[in-house]
Amino acid sequence: MNKAVGRVRLSVAVAAGKATGASGRLLRIGGGATWPGLIARRIDPDILKHTVGVSKAKKIVITGSNGKTTTARMVSALANTAVGKAGRVAHNRTGANLLHGVTAVAVHAANVFGKLDKDVLIFEVDEATMPLVVPEIRPDVVIITNIFRDQLDRFGELYAVARGIDKVLEGLPAEATIILNGNDPQVASLGAGAKARKLYFGLETTEVGTPVPEQSADVIRCIRCNHDLDYKVAYLSHLGLYRCPNCGYTLPKLDVAATQVQLAPDGEGPSTVGLITPDGEMQLRIPLPGLHNVYNAAAAIAAMHAAGLSLASAQTAFDGLKTAFGRMEKITAGDKTIFLSFVKNPTSFNLVLRLIAQHPGRKQLYIAFSRTVVDGEDFAWLWDVDFEELTPQVAQVMCSGNKAEEEALRLKYAGVPAKHITTNPDMEKALNAALAEVQPGGTLHILCGYTPNQQLRRIMQKRGWVKHYWQE
Amino acid sequence: MSKATRHRNHNAKSAPARKPATRPPAKTAPMLRIAHLYPTLTSVAADRGNLFAIERRCEWRGIATQVEPVFVKQTPDFTKFDLILFHGAADREMGIAAEDIHHKADSLRAAAEAGVVFLAVCAGYQLLGHYYKPFKGPKLTGVGILDLHTDAGEVRFMTHMAAACAFPETGKQTLVGYENHSGRTYLGKGVQPLGMVTAGWGNNGEDGTEGAVYKNVFGTYSHGPVLPKNAWLADLLIQRALTRKYGEFTLKPLDDAAEDAAHSSSLRLAQEFKGTKSAIAAATWK
Repeated sequence: MNKAVGRVRLSVAVAAGKATGASGRLLRIGGGATWPGLIARRIDPDILKHTVGVSKAKKIVITGSNGKTTTARMVSALANTAVGKAGRVAHNRTGANLLHGVTAVAVHAANVFGKLDKDVLIFEVDEATMPLVVPEIRPDVVIITNIFRDQLDRFGELYAVARGIDKVLEGLPAEATIILNGNDPQVASLGAGAKARKLYFGLETTEVGTPVPEQSADVIRCIRCNHDLDYKVAYLSHLGLYRCPNCGYTLPKLDVAATQVQLAPDGEGPSTVGLITPDGEMQLRIPLPGLHNVYNAAAAIAAMHAAGLSLASAQTAFDGLKTAFGRMEKITAGDKTIFLSFVKNPTSFNLVLRLIAQHPGRKQLYIAFSRTVVDGEDFAWLWDVDFEELTPQVAQVMCSGNKAEEEALRLKYAGVPAKHITTNPDMEKALNAALAEVQPGGTLHILCGYTPNQQLRRIMQKRGWVKHYWQE
Repeated sequence: MSKATRHRNHNAKSAPARKPATRPPAKTAPMLRIAHLYPTLTSVAADRGNLFAIERRCEWRGIATQVEPVFVKQTPDFTKFDLILFHGAADREMGIAAEDIHHKADSLRAAAEAGVVFLAVCAGYQLLGHYYKPFKGPKLTGVGILDLHTDAGEVRFMTHMAAACAFPETGKQTLVGYENHSGRTYLGKGVQPLGMVTAGWGNNGEDGTEGAVYKNVFGTYSHGPVLPKNAWLADLLIQRALTRKYGEFTLKPLDDAAEDAAHSSSLRLAQEFKGTKSAIAAATWK
């Protein structure tokens, strides 16, 4: 292709993408996160290469099963504070992490000539999209948060996911940095054949965790010799301090290690952590609850180090963090409170159940999953969720989404009495009915999949309870 | 779909008059001893829901259960169990199970011949056959309880599925679930199919069969997990295990409204089946 024609095409693609995003927002039809990318790629399939690929900005890619969105938000907050000037950092903050969502960031961030003048670009990328996106982006830093069983029908077995990611890592140049969760026996083994530098993050403490991994833990056998791993402590799913008694495989030395962890006892408040980093020791107050957010923070800190960005004002950046939308997000609904949680696999579901269990009193719940292309077809994983732990605290559960019957069946076999379970696949009617059961001043806990989360947010946005996600 | 499949009477129209049980009814509460084979190797597809289904449906009827996980290197006497569960596994875990199962094979075969009830799903089903030949890599020898063998294809069969089944105790029933396997299983003369596929791929995508039955050994490709939403099959397994142990045994009917709703919902999804072979085939790594 002629160079001049290419430039015009790129420019038209960016402009068309921007126009799509603007009209989408104007018309309030949603989809503002992905359509611009779709339209722009139709016009210039190489738009990502021509904008992001050639950009001199520090490019940070975040992938893995859980924690992508929140980690990306933490990296973004840290980067903004470190750069110290507004508008120098771009990021797909709505969590639209497939090819078109990632392209949409480029469209929004580039000027109409397709030039991208930013200091830091942050991309949350879906695991299966990594092989497509990474060669186009050419990232400086790649974070692998963890790999848990997730959507078997979309991703296949988790070893296949790991192999796919490993191939991508092998293609990175020596100047790049790979940031791996050292507590994940599988993730820690990635990048063996990669030229890029590797940094490991994780927890190294016995203040938190359990002696053995939970039932849905996946990688509990040695990655090298298949022998059962010994755990000194298990933090979340198969994340922990592990060692193979047969061949000695153990976690690598952690470059960023949370060695002191104090979680809020109410499951809602901030955590205080002591971290050892290559830049020295630091204390950090993380305003987002739960052990998973300690992991997200450690990964984000490691990324800052890798990108050569200052951590001097890290606490200021963290103080400004809100939960990524739909991650135990506290919403005021008139005289009632909603905690909205996006959960998508046994690990994230169990984690939220444990946080909910720390709240006082009997719980009003609303559970919604739907089968769609992004949410997946097969919801068998609901049977891997340890719902039984919350059963004694359940007052009422509303089951919604198009998998309402499956949810209700799971709850029945978790021992929730039939009279406490209601099903209504209509999300809005179900929400009204569930809220009607909540006393003034009371709380409704919502646990839902990706698409139901968006649908619920749209309903709550109409009622003025939450902002549009692109206004966040 | 026949009418009979829609009326899901799990408890049969009271069994025809047979001669009284040779053994008097148990004085103590009836109890089933259940072996859960390789629970940590076979946890990939949430098949543990099958165990929950058996346990709860027994509990709701006052039938006690005693569940024993059986791990690698353990060789219990399997004829002492009433019910054995052997679930699906990913390739790597299946390889570990295949290496170990030879130490258990004689006892498992004796149990099958003695009428112990088995439910085997996916990889567990394949390993009860003669062999499993992966698409790449060496052949895994099975225990040969079921007269069948499996050759893996390149493309995975992944879809909601349904199959027409019929058993003396249940009459015609529909099996629903979600299949996710690259294995093509071919049945020999020594087994009967569990059912005939009405939607989905089943054993091999060619001959219309799904699963296999030999004596009280049931094999299936259906995940979902299969038993909670096919309460008729859960009850059939419980019924067979209790009858073998205590003589004739009538199961108390249960309120299966939630089970029936989930069954209907799965059946609707299966009927939308359009022959999509695999989501994974479209993914970039292979």
